[in-house]
Amino acid sequence: MLVELNNIFKWVQQGGQRIFLLKDINLKVEEGEFISIMGPSGSGKSTLLNVMGMLDTFDEGEYDFLDEPVHKLKEKHRANLYKQYIGFVFQAYHLIDELTVYENLEMPLLYKKISGSERKSLVADMLDRFNIVGKKDLFPTQLSGGQQQLVGVARALIGKPKLILADEPTGNLNSKQGEDIMKLFQKLNNEGVTIIQVTHSEKNAEYGKRIINLLDGRMV
Amino acid sequence: MLKHNLVLFLRSIKRHKSSFLINLIGLSTGLVCVLLVYLWVSDELKKDKFHANDEQLYQVRRNIPNGQGSLATFTSNSSLMLTALQQEVPEVEMATAVYEFDGNARLETSEKKLSAFGMMASDDFFKVFSYPLVSGDKNTALADVNSVVISAELANSFFGQGSDPMGKTIAIKEGEENIDDVFTIVGIFEIPKNSSERFDFVLPYKTFLKLRNPDYINWYSNSSSIYTLLKPNVDIKAFNSKMADFISKKNQNVDEQVFFTRYSDNYLKGTYENGKQMGGRITYVILFSIVAIFVLAIACINFMNLSTARATRRLKEVGVKKAVGANRTSLILQFLSESLLLTFFSLICAYFVVLLLLPWFNNVTGKDIVFAIEGSMVISILLITLLTGLISGSYPALYLTKFSAVKVLKGKISTSVGELMVRKGLVIFQFSISLLLIVAVSVIYMQLDYIQSKNLGYTKDNVIMVERQDGLINNMEVFLEEARQLPGIVNASYMQGGMTNFSNSSWGHSWPGQTEETKKLTFRHAHVGPDFIETMGIEMKEGLSYINVKPDNESKIILNETAVKLMGLENPIGTVIDMRGPNREIIGVVKDFNIQSLYNEVAPMALLCRTEWVSNLVLKIRAGEERKAIAGLTKLYAEFNPGLDFDFRFLDQQYQELYQSEQQVSALSKYFAGMAILISCLGLFGLTAFSAERRRKEIGIRKVLGQGIGQVALMLSAEFVKLVVIAMAISLPIAYLLASDWLSQFAYKITLHAGYFVGAGVIALLVAIGTVGSQALRAANRNPIHALKEE
Repeated sequence: MLVELNNIFKWVQQGGQRIFLLKDINLKVEEGEFISIMGPSGSGKSTLLNVMGMLDTFDEGEYDFLDEPVHKLKEKHRANLYKQYIGFVFQAYHLIDELTVYENLEMPLLYKKISGSERKSLVADMLDRFNIVGKKDLFPTQLSGGQQQLVGVARALIGKPKLILADEPTGNLNSKQGEDIMKLFQKLNNEGVTIIQVTHSEKNAEYGKRIINLLDGRMV
Repeated sequence: MLKHNLVLFLRSIKRHKSSFLINLIGLSTGLVCVLLVYLWVSDELKKDKFHANDEQLYQVRRNIPNGQGSLATFTSNSSLMLTALQQEVPEVEMATAVYEFDGNARLETSEKKLSAFGMMASDDFFKVFSYPLVSGDKNTALADVNSVVISAELANSFFGQGSDPMGKTIAIKEGEENIDDVFTIVGIFEIPKNSSERFDFVLPYKTFLKLRNPDYINWYSNSSSIYTLLKPNVDIKAFNSKMADFISKKNQNVDEQVFFTRYSDNYLKGTYENGKQMGGRITYVILFSIVAIFVLAIACINFMNLSTARATRRLKEVGVKKAVGANRTSLILQFLSESLLLTFFSLICAYFVVLLLLPWFNNVTGKDIVFAIEGSMVISILLITLLTGLISGSYPALYLTKFSAVKVLKGKISTSVGELMVRKGLVIFQFSISLLLIVAVSVIYMQLDYIQSKNLGYTKDNVIMVERQDGLINNMEVFLEEARQLPGIVNASYMQGGMTNFSNSSWGHSWPGQTEETKKLTFRHAHVGPDFIETMGIEMKEGLSYINVKPDNESKIILNETAVKLMGLENPIGTVIDMRGPNREIIGVVKDFNIQSLYNEVAPMALLCRTEWVSNLVLKIRAGEERKAIAGLTKLYAEFNPGLDFDFRFLDQQYQELYQSEQQVSALSKYFAGMAILISCLGLFGLTAFSAERRRKEIGIRKVLGQGIGQVALMLSAEFVKLVVIAMAISLPIAYLLASDWLSQFAYKITLHAGYFVGAGVIALLVAIGTVGSQALRAANRNPIHALKEE
């Protein structure tokens, strides 16, 4: 089992009241799945994704990642876990503007103590695989949105994660670019990468093998 | 990773040139200040420390009641002190007596004539002090009455580079002590650069003792400085209390306290007030160190403010890095190394700027500093730079890395109130310091201006001073008589010492109606020529001047107003004073005139008409005819002193030199204040730009809703102008206290009025408005559509 969430609650205090962002979430994700999370704005999609990505904490419940109890782990251990197994794709790409495509791809490897020559070959592989060798020396601002997201996906994949978490990956793209990214996800999924994406688009959600609907922090 | 971070750093510099430049200029300027002050302070602290026995080397001082209720401190001592110390005080390992001539002496070989400054010192001089001897034996150099030790520099000017002057003879003529003899060179010394004393030749003290009138070798006559090497384990406090009544025990009639001070301390802590060490150059050393640190602090604050204010730009990077697995430590390290890198960049800039400024700086401070790279200095400079980098980088580093990746990437960071307060507090601090400096500059400037223009009681303009040397020693009166006939010369006379200090003082005089207290009244006095009062433009209050009562001047005396008042004389004219020797009749009273710097009140003074010990000629020139007069004097001088250049000084220049350190302080504080304001404004500039950026949406909405450009610009400026006003409220009272404290040391000073402070405030405000306003206008002029569309 890759991810197992049991009775996850997350809330914030506002004016003496608890406002629930996540309410009693129970979810099991097997390796090789492709899940789309849907729901209206403010329903807790992104929060759920961030909790699964260990970027955000939760207040109650249990979370096992690869059978390790995340809720009991120390910060450092947790960081190691997601560093090793999780890759993120953002709606706004979040590439670093001052770094070239090549350097953006290389960056996650820097925090993993991977030797220089190995980094080189990993980045080269990735450039090859995504057909962006010719763009490696360009800066993000010199690329179209679709190309930027391509680099974003490549960056998420470079550490060979088991799980890709994508928060509205097509939100800033036109439909053609969005479709390309979805097809890429499908291909990656076929190659064995587990993908969980948050999306507003019914059409894109269909790429997933399973759809989870959220409303007011609850799975419906 | 390092390469990555470096690349990131360099590219963000390229993209955000203006904030990089603000930081670079700010930090470099701050470092320039610190480097210059560091060089200056370390030079000051090294003064006179080169003597091998520095820790044991002490000077003898005396505290004497001045008859006006306080103590006066003297470094001069009786020549009897030397033997007394050597023979009777076991704590004294070695001692030497030094007599310094008032002016230059004339030295002559068969080929050349030069004037040079010298002194007479007793046998152990070169053992007590460590002026290195190039040739000669420090044990015997001053043993023989007919020998002289000269400086390498003087040897070069007489005999040329590379020649051996040892054993050659030199004729030395000096009017003050009536030296006129031939001396054999038995030694050559050098004066290290960091010596506070400069002299060209040393004669044996035996010469002094031989020539001195035996009447003046007693415990009343204090003409020499005494220096001692105390035994290594002497407790100076206990020793000073033991020695306090040393002179009083020898001479029941005097009430003097003897104490010993470390010789190398004298340079920085040489001023004494009412018998206690007060102020001195050390004040300025401390003051400028503080100012330099403040200027650097202002630059550090800029860096902190700008980097946190522009955090939004960097936060995305932080968020992304955190999301891909960077931990906080590595990010903190990244930011710290960026600030360190920037500070080292600034150091390099500062280094070149300092090299460029050094000649100018030496000129302003009257120093001869060479920026030599040497171990301890490199280490301290690197430490300063490291500290600067760490301090200015720590806050941004900790601040930027504390947010969680989710928040950052969702753009949910709002600047907290606390943070804004910190930023505003720092701006207030910057401007408070700048304001303090502006007030300091204006107060110092006004006080100096006041000093220059104050009526001193004599006219210092168009008066030249000529040393009494060579042919003038015997033919002074003839020279003066002929000089008076020259075109452009108004009057001519002579005096002992100079107008900026009457070095002679005496007490123990008696007169009818004297009270017990005034028995110890100390008079400053000088021997002057018959028409001295007229030449100097000193006003008579009552009675006659010497010019009217020739030729019987030797039994007369002229006093100043202060003296008459303190003596309690109702009708001074005709009163006879017993001056421990000849009785003198008061024939006139002059109005008070200042002979010392205006730190001091006018002292009781006496003018005696005598030629003995006279060291200077004073000549009054008609305004506008200086050139003609000096040409005539040069010719006349050559007739009396063949082979000697006509060397003269303008009195007003000499007067300026009294305030040399004040002039230096004035000049330096001007530049420091300028730098502080420059850096503060750079910071303000950056912050306004940031604020305009942050409030883009607000500005857009306001404009869409119909607010005019002017109103928007005003709103933006007000935010910062308010800070400057708060800074004024904080710093101006402090400035007032500091300024009155500084002025309190002057006996004659300007009165502080609100103008200085309001003026400083207005300057700061104008500068701030100028800086902020331009940015605010630019922001207000933007098309609101662009700002609003982004959401």
